[in-house]
Formats: sequence, structure tokens, C-alpha cells
Amino acid sequence: MRLVTENGQEGLGLGVREAMTVTSSPAAPSRFLIVTLGGRYLALDAESIQGVLTLKEAGYVENPTIHGMVYRAIDLANRLSVSNDRGGTDTRVVLLSEREARGNVRVTTVHGLLELQQSQVLPLPMQFRGLERHWYRGMILFGNSIALVLNTNWVLDEQVSGLDGSGGQENTPRLVAAPKISVNDSRVC
Amino acid sequence: MLRAGHRHQRETARQSWQLLVFSVGGRRLAVKALDVSGISQWHQSIPVAGRTPFVTAVVRQGQTVLPVFDLAASLHLTVQGSSPLCLKVKHPLGEMAMCIDEEIPVLHTFDPAALQAYQGKDLPAEGSYTNGLDEVPILSVSRLGSTV
Repeated sequence: MRLVTENGQEGLGLGVREAMTVTSSPAAPSRFLIVTLGGRYLALDAESIQGVLTLKEAGYVENPTIHGMVYRAIDLANRLSVSNDRGGTDTRVVLLSEREARGNVRVTTVHGLLELQQSQVLPLPMQFRGLERHWYRGMILFGNSIALVLNTNWVLDEQVSGLDGSGGQENTPRLVAAPKISVNDSRVC
Repeated sequence: MLRAGHRHQRETARQSWQLLVFSVGGRRLAVKALDVSGISQWHQSIPVAGRTPFVTAVVRQGQTVLPVFDLAASLHLTVQGSSPLCLKVKHPLGEMAMCIDEEIPVLHTFDPAALQAYQGKDLPAEGSYTNGLDEVPILSVSRLGSTV
């Protein structure tokens, strides 16, 4: 298990990444971005992350447009019914994309990338039998706690219907100037 | 005769139940000792946002993560004491933890012939027994989280 911290030598490269093709084998380690939201650790599949921005880099808008793509705001705190402590100095905007869906979630803190084998992702106990089985892909041991691995499909679920090209962009505040972001060529870490 | 007597004793012993009697919010409850996998100090639970009633957290014990059934909440009670205990039970879907009062649970040998139907609807029970003026329900661990 390897944690690549935000300021670590590995260079998190948490800017916006270009489109890339990733071929993963079953034995390939998985990478997760560990974040805090509402005092809880959450893990986001790095394959779905297009970038991590500060509020300033995101242009202080709800739905930033990056490389011509609109990343609509997803109120993850509300969907998970956790406290919404957005707006702090450590707040980060995580850009997510999967298939045709894109969105951004604001998180309290970004802890870094965790690399581990898929077998190290523990299944959600079967006693959880409600809708949450669709929300999480499992759990990761993290520090003395756990991080719940979010199902990116679920996170972006509400975005799919609204993302039909430029459909909803007219009402979306666009950046006056392109945010100052670091572009990573192929790797998140 | 002697042999028969021994056999009778063994059969009686075999038929009796070992119950673990504990309390939640000051209320006495029992569970079959066979359904218990351990008791330890309660450590902070980790909340898990979800929609399953009374299963809203996990506890981490080393490399193991156990779901928590909030028995106290399901009974509209609050766990008593500053050092609550963790009661681990063998649920059919996997081991599960419950936070119980700090009062040390006691083992109780119970004659199933004295088993009564539990009249309450607040928790799944295999039955109950009378202890003084109290009716002590015997938790049905396999139905925890499914019928409350």
C-alpha cells in the first residue's frame, strides 16, 4: 500500500489531466484519491479523476469549464447526508468523469493517492442492505479508520441525463479566464 | 441406575441454554452464548452514510471491519456508562457489533422449558424469560436488522 501525499515527492500532479488511454490488467494496482467530506474519509477511483483544483483554480464557480468541458456541481454532502463543511482553506474541487458524464465534487480535504491491490478493497458488509450498496464499491483501511470507496457511476448518475453536449451550458457560469492549472501529461501521480 | 443418572444429567445439561445477559440503556436483554463471538471495549465507531435502519456505522478492529447494529437506537435508548462494551454476535451475514452498557454481562444457565413468548414488538426475540418482575427478551441474532 502506498500513499502519495499531496506534497510528497511523488508529485501528486493533481491538476487537470489530458485524455488518456489506460489499459489495466487484473493484477494492476488500483489508485484511489483519499478525501475527507463531513469528517468522513472517502475514496475516489483515480481512473475517474480528471483533476483536483483549488477554489481559486476553479474560478470560484459552481460548474467550472475546463478544456471546454463543463463539470457540473454535485452536492455529495447532501446526497450522503453528511455535514457540508465546504469553503475551508483546504477545500478542493475534484473533477470527475466517467463515460459521457462529468461532474465536480467539493471536498473538505484531499489527503493523497493510495495505491493498493484490488483485493485490499474490502466489501461493504452484507448487513448494509439499503441503497448504500449502490453508493459504495467497498472500504479501504486507512490510518486507524476506513475510507469508503465511492461508486463513481452513482456519484455522476444525476449528471448523465443533462450531459448531452452543450445542453445545459448556457446557464452555466463560464470562467472569465482559464484557471491556472497544472496539466499532467498522463499520470495522476 | 448410576449410568442412567449420568446420562440424564448430561441430557439436562445439553438441553439447557447458556445465555449472556447484558444491558442496553439500563434494560436487561439476553442472547444465546452460542451466538456471541466476543466482548471487548467499545471503540469509536465510524459512521457510514446509508439507508439501512440501525446499521449506520462500522467499527474497525485491527484489519477487521465489522458492521454495527445500533441496538440502543432501535430500542429508543441511550447506552449507559463512560466505558461501553462491544458485543460481537454471529449474524448469518457475518459478524456484527453492538454497543452495550458498561455493566459486565453475566452468563446465565437457562432451562428452555421456561421460555415464554415475547410480547414486545420492539426487537426480534426467540422468546423471553421472567426475572423477578422483569421480562428479559432473548435476542434473535439472525433476525437483527431485518425485522425490527
